[in-house]
Amino acid sequence: MPDSKTPKADFSDVESGSSSTAPPASERTYTVVKGDSLSKIAKQFYGDAQQWRKIYEANKDQIKNPDLIHPGQTFRIPGA
Amino acid sequence: MHAHGPRVFALSFALTAIALASCKKETPPQNETAAAAPAPAPAAFSVTVIELGKQVGPDKRVTSPTTTFGPKDTIHASVASDGAAPKKIIAAKWTYQDGQVVKEAAETIAPTGPAATEFHISKPSGWPAGKYKVEISVDGSPAGSKDFEVKK
Repeated sequence: MPDSKTPKADFSDVESGSSSTAPPASERTYTVVKGDSLSKIAKQFYGDAQQWRKIYEANKDQIKNPDLIHPGQTFRIPGA
Repeated sequence: MHAHGPRVFALSFALTAIALASCKKETPPQNETAAAAPAPAPAAFSVTVIELGKQVGPDKRVTSPTTTFGPKDTIHASVASDGAAPKKIIAAKWTYQDGQVVKEAAETIAPTGPAATEFHISKPSGWPAGKYKVEISVDGSPAGSKDFEVKK
């Protein structure tokens, strides 16, 4: 059991990636975790934070404010 | 003798017709089945192995499986699968011992046979020591999990 007095570990700077030997289907998905932003997700998938608008446009149905995304949201990631 | 000729001919014709008719009755179902048999269906998609390690090779499989990592290690999870599907979403959910979600990611693939999909996480400031887990799901259904530990 973790000690309840111990401060929660901070995983906001965790970096991740994925790849497969299988051919990609037309779109990928990503589930938002704490500390994410559209720019950060764009950097991860496209290598360029400026591409955040591409993700925003593909998920306008669930992103009301691009500066405010929530853990647990699953976004479609269009091809680069 | 000549009088028997037509009768013999008629009889053999009738017998041949009966034989052909009876062949016709029995043969078609077999022929139809054979002709209509579709190509063997591709194997259903399934996850065969989940392995953890510090590195993966070009085949996306971990080069040396382990479940113990250091604070500065990049942690790879390799998900081997078999079968074909037009679209499968393989997702990895990494959690810490207190239940905190460390990271979630997914790969949407169109597998055509045996494949390997790798997920990796790293933390430049160093992983807190403790127990972790990675849970793999396929199209939202659990497909397996692996526990691992980070030691100082």
